[in-house]
Amino acid sequence: MFLARVVNKVTSSEKHCAYNGKIVYVVQPVLPDGTAEGSEWIAIDYVGAGIGDIVVCGGAPGVAKSVFNLDMAPIRTLIMAIVDKVDYRDI
Amino acid sequence: MKLGVVTGVVWASKKVKELDGCRMYILQPVSVDGNKTDPPLVAADPKNIASGGDTVVYVTSTDAAQAFDSGFAPVNASIVALVDEIS
Repeated sequence: MFLARVVNKVTSSEKHCAYNGKIVYVVQPVLPDGTAEGSEWIAIDYVGAGIGDIVVCGGAPGVAKSVFNLDMAPIRTLIMAIVDKVDYRDI
Repeated sequence: MKLGVVTGVVWASKKVKELDGCRMYILQPVSVDGNKTDPPLVAADPKNIASGGDTVVYVTSTDAAQAFDSGFAPVNASIVALVDEIS
């Protein structure tokens, strides 16, 4: 799982049925101190995140199928937590 | 599985229900001699094994969900062991 900042929202009318009714965000992975790092990911929102939030994203293969209890779910990255605070000390 | 050092804690009141009561740590993947190997990641600690500064073993991908008693959580990194010594 990785920390990321929600930067954009993706809306699409043509999509796989597993994406129906789901909010799709563009998230920018960030290091614990907030600096952006790496390329952007697309993530399905699961906890009501908004643009600008720092969130925890991730998900293992096949997890979305059971989270959304669908028979087929081509979804890999989920937003699973909205971060209130990060205590961090580099080594 | 890999070695990592706990370098931070993530506090999140709003999260998926499977992560309720489960701490999330920031891990810095390290080699045996303590050098950084990959960028930091967030790992769940369902068994309350770790605390700040500890060297731990963590597992990734689908097996990470097996660290939870329910055998299911939408996570892909879990702490599974506390390293006392590497000899």
